[in-house]
Amino acid sequence: MLKINNIKIDVNTNNGLFGASHTFKSGLNIIRGNNTSGKSSLFQAIVYALGFEELIGGRFEKTMQSVLKDQVEFPKHKFHSVLQSSVLLEIENTNGDIITIRRFVRNPNRKSQLIDVYFGSLSANDSLESRPMFVHDNGGASDENYGFHLYLEEFLNWKLPQVLTNNGELRNIYIQQIASSFIIEQKSGWSDFFATMPNYGLNNKEARIVEFILDMDVYGNKMKKQELGISKKILENDWMNLNKRFERFTEKGGGKLIGLSQTPMIINNFDEINILLSKDETDHSISNYLDLTIDEFDKINLTETLSVKENIIDNEKLIVEKEDKLNQISFDVEMISTELTFDKQKLSNFNYQLESLNEDLRKNKGAFKVQKMGAEIDLKVSGNNCPSCNQEINDSLLPLSVKQVPMRLDDNIDFLSAQIRMLQVNIEGLESKIIVKNKKLINLRGSQNSLRSQIRELKTELTSDDRLPSIVDIEYRLNLKKRIEFYSKYLEDFAELKDELLLLSNKWKRILQEQEKLKSDTFSINDIAKIKSLTDNFKSLLSTFNYSSKTINDIAISEENYLPLAKKPNDDLFYNIRFDSSASDFVRSIWAYTCSLYKTSVAKNGNHPNLLMFDEPKQQDMSINDFTNFLKELSTYKNAQTLLFASFENSDETFKKATDGIEFHLNYINNKLIKPID
Amino acid sequence: MKLYAEKITFSKKPISIPPEYRPSYSIALIVLILKICCQGNKSSLLKLHLINWALKSNENKDSLKKFVLSNYTESSKTWGIEPSLNRALNYAVHEGVCSIINGKYLLLEKGEKFYSKILENPEYLNDEIDFLNFLGKRKITDNRIDSIYKKWKNQNA
Repeated sequence: MLKINNIKIDVNTNNGLFGASHTFKSGLNIIRGNNTSGKSSLFQAIVYALGFEELIGGRFEKTMQSVLKDQVEFPKHKFHSVLQSSVLLEIENTNGDIITIRRFVRNPNRKSQLIDVYFGSLSANDSLESRPMFVHDNGGASDENYGFHLYLEEFLNWKLPQVLTNNGELRNIYIQQIASSFIIEQKSGWSDFFATMPNYGLNNKEARIVEFILDMDVYGNKMKKQELGISKKILENDWMNLNKRFERFTEKGGGKLIGLSQTPMIINNFDEINILLSKDETDHSISNYLDLTIDEFDKINLTETLSVKENIIDNEKLIVEKEDKLNQISFDVEMISTELTFDKQKLSNFNYQLESLNEDLRKNKGAFKVQKMGAEIDLKVSGNNCPSCNQEINDSLLPLSVKQVPMRLDDNIDFLSAQIRMLQVNIEGLESKIIVKNKKLINLRGSQNSLRSQIRELKTELTSDDRLPSIVDIEYRLNLKKRIEFYSKYLEDFAELKDELLLLSNKWKRILQEQEKLKSDTFSINDIAKIKSLTDNFKSLLSTFNYSSKTINDIAISEENYLPLAKKPNDDLFYNIRFDSSASDFVRSIWAYTCSLYKTSVAKNGNHPNLLMFDEPKQQDMSINDFTNFLKELSTYKNAQTLLFASFENSDETFKKATDGIEFHLNYINNKLIKPID
Repeated sequence: MKLYAEKITFSKKPISIPPEYRPSYSIALIVLILKICCQGNKSSLLKLHLINWALKSNENKDSLKKFVLSNYTESSKTWGIEPSLNRALNYAVHEGVCSIINGKYLLLEKGEKFYSKILENPEYLNDEIDFLNFLGKRKITDNRIDSIYKKWKNQNA
């Protein structure tokens, strides 16, 4: 468990030392203070000391209120500049080990990612050893000596699970992400379940947190699923590489590949995969082609080698034929190379456009950022107002006589991004077109050359001694023989490639089978009991808090991400509970969900830190009655610690009414949190 | 002839404009130029126009860079005068980002604040800042600009 014993805030100002000091006990602690008293500053200081300030929406000291970093107001309208400020937080774990954490908010000489950890209670003993540690830096959660969050994880006796990120890497869950399940911050914490959880590119992050808090077995199976997902990705990659090798191989033999898909699949009939080679304008498989060639070779070998004289008429006819063909091909070459030049020119134009669009996008992003910065230092133009007459201007420097309305900057950025995407698609298309045409051109040039050399040979033969054996005939025979040798080897190599494919296909089958098996047995018996307990707790708490947007029977907990779902009566379709709850009922469901996570974890030996922190849980004009029920529920958690920050509508009466008959420890912030210290 | 539509209406859609026409962006560039490239954070109008023109495109940047690196001998192109910059300067003066003193623009405290805000997180403005740092405070002085200006005048007289 994580228990917060006390907190001490020191603020050195140009008018002396200011500060605050609060002690917390087990059970329900109510921190009461009027609006603007600094109640939230105290909440945030605790979060900050633990290095969880991402829950407040950022990193480092900029997330803190100005009273801790700029100026202290005390009493009203009297200001003192802050010179240095720090938070001291004493925490305790299940074994009763105590550490004190010190983190500076403002200190010109220290970076705010530094945290001092004192091994013991600094308030009881001020000569303790300390060790500097880091948060948020690279290695803040992993560096064994100095990572504060890794240290905190050990201190809480947690073993944070590994999870799969969106880009397929395994990584630990971050402790800040878990914290969003028991620390509910005021500004955005009430807008959704786990609303303040930092993202870190994690898949289905809510589910992973709940599985950890409730210590569910499903986690092991999920791991297997993730591993399977990774081997699937690897296989897809291997498949693609093999596919490429097939393509290169096909190109080498001058054929056409059929029957092989780009993505992995189970192949049942390997004969479907083949390379088609064309002979006399029909396509043949490699082995058929080989047979045909061998037949032809045998047939020719039976006949005598022709002499030049015998061949003369045939040769003359052949020359005419081949020259016709050559003319056609030369014409095609001319056409395609013209097209190619044109396409290449177009491509370079597109690329130039893309470059200038990218530059434009960068500048627009800069402008968007600068506009925000301008608003921070109160530039009127950044809010689209004229600095001298305060009239609205339309965010442009175009002369007023131009009656055009410019896009807003963010729209302009979207507009440019869309154009860039469109252009990229065009470029990709054009590039592949160029590749295809290039290939075609190379092929055509190849046949052009071979035709030319054939014609040359025929012509030479016509002018040579007509008693000699015909060179063309001999050459043809040699050629056939060479071809037979080449394609015999080719056929063997093809079979080898296919063997590799068989291996991948089998592997793919196994992965699919395992995946199917995992689908059926994800939840263990324990898990089912845990989900049921979570559901029961959630439903019963909803009725305790008077949730009324739906009948409780129409509420369930998702087995996918363990978040609450609701459905319409007489309908089977469940959807996020948020869509059908009134604003105050949604806050009730966050109360109920946060509490039921704790209750279920206690009942089923989960990993909940037994700490709950709520900042201003009475949102949306909640009735005092329901709020009292919430407090009553929290006050029964004797073994946990609850820190509840509330203003009670700035009224003693409301406070009395709400806490009537409830056992709690009160911290009252009288007037202002940060006061002078003598 | 048969008409397929009985009525055609046109509605005006917002148009995309270059970022240089955004007041905040232009003012940010003015601040950067005054702070990085001007002695005493003070500059003449002509110099602001020159550097602003250079920042508009990579070709412009290269041309100015070439001019400086050739020890100011390479004949420089004429630079453009953008009316939009004048409007941005007007805004900047009324925002209290800079003021006009003896015909020169001087960066004020609010501008300094803007400058440090930008430098906290320059990300998309790094190209511009790098270029301005290359120019520095001494490479393009008002005297230099005057002499270029005179040269043109003589050539074209």
